[in-house]
Amino acid sequence: MTAGLYVHVPFCARKCRYCDFYSLPQRENLIPAYIKAVTAEAHVHQGKHFQTLYVGGGTPSLLGPQNLSDLMGSLRGYFNLSSLGEATIEVNPESATKEFLDAAMSAGFNRVSVGVQSLSDTELESVGRIHDSQRAIKALNDIRTAGFTNVSADVIIGLPGQDWTSLKRTLDQLLSMRLEHISAYCLSIEEGTPLAVNPPANLPTDDRQAELFERTCAFLKKTGFVHYEISNFARPGFESRHNLNYWHGGEYLGLGPAAASHMNGRRFRNNSDLTAYIGNPSGQISDIEDLDPAAKAGEEAMLRLRLLEEGLDCAAMAERFSPENVIGLRQRLEKLVEEGLLEKTGTRYILPGKMVMTANQVLSRVVVTGGPTCC
Amino acid sequence: MAKSLTAVDRSACPSKAGMLLLDQMINVRNFCIVAHIAHGKSTLADRILELTDVLHTKNNQQFLNNMELERERGITIKAKSVRIPYKAKDGQDYILNLIDTPGHVDFNYEVSRSLKACEGALLLVDASQGVEAQTVANAYLAIDAGLEIIPVINKIDLPNALIDESKKQLSDMLGIPADNALLISAKAGTGIIEVLESVVANVPPPESDVNGPLQCLVFDSMYDTYKGVIPHIRVFSGTVKIGTKIMAKSTGKSYEVTEVGYFSPGMVPATQLEAGMVGYIGAVMRDVGDIHVGDTFVSPDLPDTPAIPGFREARPMVFCGIYPLNTNEYGKLGAALEKLQLNDSAIVFEKESSAALGHGYRLGLLGMLHMEITLERLKREYGQEIIATMPSTIYKVVTRDGVEHLIDNPSKFPEPNHIDHIEEPIVQAHIIVPKEFVGPVMALSEEKRGKMITMEHPDMRRIMLTYDFPLAETITGYYDTLKSISRGYASMDYDFTGYRQSDLVKVDILVHGDKVDALSYISERTMAVPRARDLVHRLRKLIPRQMFEIPIQAAIGGKVIAREDIVAIRKDVLSKCYGGDISRKRKLLEKQAEGKKKMKMVGSVQIPQDAFLALLKMEEEH
Repeated sequence: MTAGLYVHVPFCARKCRYCDFYSLPQRENLIPAYIKAVTAEAHVHQGKHFQTLYVGGGTPSLLGPQNLSDLMGSLRGYFNLSSLGEATIEVNPESATKEFLDAAMSAGFNRVSVGVQSLSDTELESVGRIHDSQRAIKALNDIRTAGFTNVSADVIIGLPGQDWTSLKRTLDQLLSMRLEHISAYCLSIEEGTPLAVNPPANLPTDDRQAELFERTCAFLKKTGFVHYEISNFARPGFESRHNLNYWHGGEYLGLGPAAASHMNGRRFRNNSDLTAYIGNPSGQISDIEDLDPAAKAGEEAMLRLRLLEEGLDCAAMAERFSPENVIGLRQRLEKLVEEGLLEKTGTRYILPGKMVMTANQVLSRVVVTGGPTCC
Repeated sequence: MAKSLTAVDRSACPSKAGMLLLDQMINVRNFCIVAHIAHGKSTLADRILELTDVLHTKNNQQFLNNMELERERGITIKAKSVRIPYKAKDGQDYILNLIDTPGHVDFNYEVSRSLKACEGALLLVDASQGVEAQTVANAYLAIDAGLEIIPVINKIDLPNALIDESKKQLSDMLGIPADNALLISAKAGTGIIEVLESVVANVPPPESDVNGPLQCLVFDSMYDTYKGVIPHIRVFSGTVKIGTKIMAKSTGKSYEVTEVGYFSPGMVPATQLEAGMVGYIGAVMRDVGDIHVGDTFVSPDLPDTPAIPGFREARPMVFCGIYPLNTNEYGKLGAALEKLQLNDSAIVFEKESSAALGHGYRLGLLGMLHMEITLERLKREYGQEIIATMPSTIYKVVTRDGVEHLIDNPSKFPEPNHIDHIEEPIVQAHIIVPKEFVGPVMALSEEKRGKMITMEHPDMRRIMLTYDFPLAETITGYYDTLKSISRGYASMDYDFTGYRQSDLVKVDILVHGDKVDALSYISERTMAVPRARDLVHRLRKLIPRQMFEIPIQAAIGGKVIAREDIVAIRKDVLSKCYGGDISRKRKLLEKQAEGKKKMKMVGSVQIPQDAFLALLKMEEEH
């Protein structure tokens, strides 16, 4: 089993109108204190061995070259990263400067994920992104120039005013950049965000979103991408290893405020509070969750079924969780197969392509309900 | 006054003992108060009880209305009687039996039974309102029962009291001479003595034969956990005491009297009740279904003694299905209904189950108000959360084979091709309404398939309309709408008159091809389509989209008359970068799964339980 290390960078230049993640605009003055706190938190977990690293946010590129190098120095100091196969850093186009990208390269990152979201300027503006399409294209070029050979772009489906023509233009341009990976997320209107408070009239409906998503899938598949997870597409061999570990139910440590962890079968999160984190980096653990084995199996099944190529191998699950803990799961899966909502080949269950857009209808019947055993 | 006994009659009495009893009877007055709702009946009763020291407290609690709900709504549901000792101005001691009557249209039969127990009635009119629909209806019932009517005009202290006009209405509308009507204010306590003196002077004493064969009218009953059913009786002939054997005429069942007494206002045991008296008996009657209001007790030794005329079994006319919100409480609901029935034998119920709502009961009631009160009592007194389906009446369905079926549940209707014709219950309604509202009231009545019989002008400002209505139309919001379009001024009374053939159809609602029994309804043919469209439209909005397209249809037999489709769900996916926050993902899915557990399956379609609730609520308000 691999183990992943995640670092959450809670800074951003400006809050996007759809964003409900933990990130704070205009607080870059706290970056040095934050780096110190992450270092202190890493110290508590020192000695651990990780195969993947993911620095996400927020906007990690806001850290600047020096802070990024310091951060990586600390992580290397406390953890065993000798077999690090994949190290991803998220960047936003406007702050992905050449200096930063060079620093990331020399710090050991080998994968960059860019928050492109769209290459239509009106769409970008409508959700409050800082960059425009030109800046995004420049960033992608700079990333290549800096030497990165594994680049991913995020695309949002369902932006205000988006239609298939504009979406396809975005995808065409991205394809011409020869990206290795694309994450296509559906815009979701989260409670309390500006987009929810003041929804624009030209916001595509859910049905429209579904149609755009399905066309995106077909289009990307046709151009050689593998639709390996509900929202993720990769050139063969370029699937995100760090994220695959999440979907395999693997273990990972999250550092930084609001970062989630899965260690020794237990899930927990740090509080979403930068000030508190800086004050007491290792004392922020909350939402601890210990599931019983059957519920844990259900959870892993829910994750693995998101992997559209690989699916869920029930025999392997039975080995890991012991057969009695997967009896209920197997029954639920069989019922879904009977109803035509899942496909089965041998011992492997796969979410059919036609079900991707309504995956919750299946996955909600895979998880065990009735409450986790919490402490 | 021709019927009353005179001094000459008294002296003519043969036996000493008989004379003694007759002496007592000559000083007995059995009377009731009849009035339109909120004209002050209960307040007057209270004042009478206070004045005669039967009631000592003056805490403004109306005694006769002792059910919480009755007091809240200001109406009397169950009749009761109170014995009042009264020393009149002539120096003699009298026994006045005040028999209370239920004050609403649904309880006409109960009213008529209570009236039967009296010789006189106080006809109470609110001077600020004048004669209203129930004043008319109740006055007619009292006249039909041959009672001496004493007109009483109440609330004369109100600034808008129209005393002369009220008098004129009494004489013009009801033919009751009202020049000498008593003028009182029950609230202020003025004129109460005069009321009692008038009862003594004008209400005839009961004409009764204490030595005759036993004949007692049951005009009410209550249930006591220890004593069983306690019938309230008026003895017409003979004497009933502990040990007397009695037989109910309608059932032929015999009992031995274990207790006799009267109310004052609590239960006061007595040695006997003679002909002419009013009181209660206990006879270990366990089965509430055996004792019917209007029945007559006679001696089992003289089983051919005639019954007091006019008995009929309480006949439920309005039906609805009731279902516990929490399906586990089905048993508890049944127990609550049984308990309720003990004190209200007019309630009938039987088990029913619905694919959409689960296990429940079909409830039969006298009318809309009776239904409202019963549902409210179930909720309040028994803590039951319930869903009630749309009320229905009882239809006479004659099938092609000539067989007549009485059907109270639309889902039990035969297929249309088996039906020869359908008859529906008709009521005659009297509506009194100020002139300025007569247009809207007539429009509403037409819309509700009313047929105007007469239009009268009882006074300068008001019109009295008499309509024949299908009962079904009056139970679906007619009364409330009447009240609102007349700004509360219209009053209405109705009585069941019989059945009439109508062009009716049963409309079924189908979800994905499966009938939702709880939503079937009976409609006049031409009105079926608009209502069906509306219902289908609203149902479509209440059912969440699912994995497949769901047609919502309304159909008469096999013919679809309205249809809307719920398109299949297109997007239901967590396609967002939640990073490693798997718990959040899982919890969202669990929440979704929990939500599904609260769904009812109709065929393969999941329908939220509260969708039915919302729909039935909307129907109610519609």
